[in-house]
Amino acid sequence: MLINIFIKQVPESIDIEMDAKTHTLCRESIAYQTNPFDLFALEEGLLLKEKYGGKTRVLSMGPPQAVKALEESLSMGADDAYLLSDPLFSGADTYATSYTLSSVLKLIGIGDLILVGKQATDGDTGQVGPELAEHLKITHVTNVRSIKEIINGKKVIISKMTEKGTALLEVELPALLTITKTDKEPRTPTLRDIVQSKRKFIDIFDSKRLKIDTMKTGLKGSPTKVIKTFKPEYTSEGRIFPMSDSISLSILLKELQKKQENNVE
Amino acid sequence: MDFDINTDQQNLIKTIKSFAQKELNNNIIDDDKSSRFPMEKWKKCHKMGLFSLPFPEKYGGLNQSFLTTCLCIQALGFSCKDSGLVHSIVTQIICGIQLNLFGSDLLKDKYLPGICSGETICAQAITEADSGSDALAMKTKAIKNTENYILNGTKMFITNEPIADLTIVFARTNPEAKSFGAISVFILEKDTPGFEKCKAMEKMGLRTLQNGELVLTECEVKASSRIGTEGQGAIIFSESMEWERILLSAANLGKMEHVLDLSITYSKNRKQFDQSICKYQAISNKISKMKVQCELSKLMLYKAAELKDHQKRASMESSMIKYAVSEYLKESCANSLQIHGANGYMTETEIERYFRDSIASTIYSGTSEMHLNIIGKLLGL
Ligand SMILES: Cc1cc2nc3c(=O)[nH]c(=O)nc-3n(C[C@H](O)[C@H](O)[C@H](O)COP(=O)(O)OP(=O)(O)OC[C@H]3O[C@@H](n4cnc5c(N)ncnc54)[C@H](O)[C@@H]3O)c2cc1C
Repeated sequence: MLINIFIKQVPESIDIEMDAKTHTLCRESIAYQTNPFDLFALEEGLLLKEKYGGKTRVLSMGPPQAVKALEESLSMGADDAYLLSDPLFSGADTYATSYTLSSVLKLIGIGDLILVGKQATDGDTGQVGPELAEHLKITHVTNVRSIKEIINGKKVIISKMTEKGTALLEVELPALLTITKTDKEPRTPTLRDIVQSKRKFIDIFDSKRLKIDTMKTGLKGSPTKVIKTFKPEYTSEGRIFPMSDSISLSILLKELQKKQENNVE
Repeated sequence: MDFDINTDQQNLIKTIKSFAQKELNNNIIDDDKSSRFPMEKWKKCHKMGLFSLPFPEKYGGLNQSFLTTCLCIQALGFSCKDSGLVHSIVTQIICGIQLNLFGSDLLKDKYLPGICSGETICAQAITEADSGSDALAMKTKAIKNTENYILNGTKMFITNEPIADLTIVFARTNPEAKSFGAISVFILEKDTPGFEKCKAMEKMGLRTLQNGELVLTECEVKASSRIGTEGQGAIIFSESMEWERILLSAANLGKMEHVLDLSITYSKNRKQFDQSICKYQAISNKISKMKVQCELSKLMLYKAAELKDHQKRASMESSMIKYAVSEYLKESCANSLQIHGANGYMTETEIERYFRDSIASTIYSGTSEMHLNIIGKLLGL
């Protein structure tokens, strides 16, 4: 099995500054982490490799400092790592991002399974995974909670979260799955894993190596135009009912009932 | 001079902190009450690779510098709430360093892989009932009989001894000589005939740490189990004490940083007379002092560790850092307890345990008084 796992470096905190001009993140002086959903995708990939053999590759698009996220994945057990980095890729929306990501797989092979996190905690769109599958013209399933089994390297049995519960699906490979929080905690690497992963190589691709149409990458290649970004204002406040317990409870109940009726309307 | 902690070191630090918080911080109050050594946590540390940091790869080590090892142990001291376990881990690493520096290839091949992995638990026995600070006045004898040595004597307060598989024993091979040339060092397996250890002693703090007596009666040891040459004990002692004092200080510095964080958080949240107690200078000055002491200690610690990485002597530096961090730690814990008021005095908030744990730091590995003596002597006083 060849499993490609896409990861993204995202800010650790949601309390971040936006660039007033470009409407993108101010990347300086922010602490970063690997997108938590991507770590669940990586854990699924590593478990599959341990069960069925083969190879796991981690791939990321981002500025040079995104190697840190790749290093973390390598220390957790990924075999190879690829960074797509070029100033011409920056400011990309989901379309330009998925186009760029698809181009590297067209060069190095799409393998059997592509795993991505359900969404990134900074953009929160959940679009890159499905768009990537469309660029590659393969099947995709979103919100996958667990990968149950691979059958003869040809099909995968998965369980997917739906609005009403879960669905068990059989999907032909190659396929792309977007992974949500599973019950398999991403592993903590040992100190030995960290030290030894330094010997693994991170292959860096810029636009030239990718032989990519740069009119379709970065801010220039993004059909989405962000007009304004702002921090949401939190207007709702807690209310205090300064009466004896039983009275305040009945008032509270009435308030809640009213709210529910409004919601139904 | 470069004050940056590089990304490789940062990765190790981050991993140790999250590992300790996830895996090492449960049941400590109960373990402390019952003086239980958390063997299951020791095994987790062994899986994590904590014992193998400074050792060569051929023994299963991770080949990290001593400075990096200190940074990792500082991170462990910061994030592992069980100071007894941390002390035990440091002792293990120090025994390995001693063997790696002075042991024969035969001894290193035989014992270092087990020490690195943590499967073999190690102790170092120097102190005796009548020789504490005056360590080299020890009475335990090792008398050569053709090929082997016969050891007789009793060692006291030995860290890890009740659970150890291997003990590095310092003994007198030349009864006539005073210190130089008098002492030799041996490595003994726990089931050597005549090697008897006693059960762990009850202590005020560091209660999960197991300290005990070791009695050697007509205990026969092969000459090939000697670490270094005959009579090299005093040299091995002074060299390995430098490493030990630096590494123990790394752990204690980490603990001090943790106590500083706790004091900041509590003093901000606790309100009396309508404002946070941190707004009273009597409180904030105590915390500012802790911060200054942490930062000063870091500079001294990293410098001392670098000296060892460059194969230089660090007698003065290791005594200064050991003296400073242990005194600062004791003071910080006492002040933190005061800042926490009655809450701090209660077992549940864990400050009282840190305070009890800190007391031993100015006693083990040379008392504060002895370190001031050493510094004075090196200043020619
Ligand atoms: C938690 C813990 C772990 C330990 N682990 C080990 C271990 O693994 N292996 C081991 O061999 N030992 C170990 N020890 C023993 C430790 O090394 C000794 O306790 C230490 O060296 C001091 O010796 P002592 O307790 O006999 O005190 P003493 O030497 O009797 O000192 C008593 C007091 O007199 C002062 N004093 C003594 N001489 C002088 C002087 N010349 N000038 C000024 N003041 C002086 C001391 O500073 C102290 O205040 C451990 C001790 C503790 C508490």
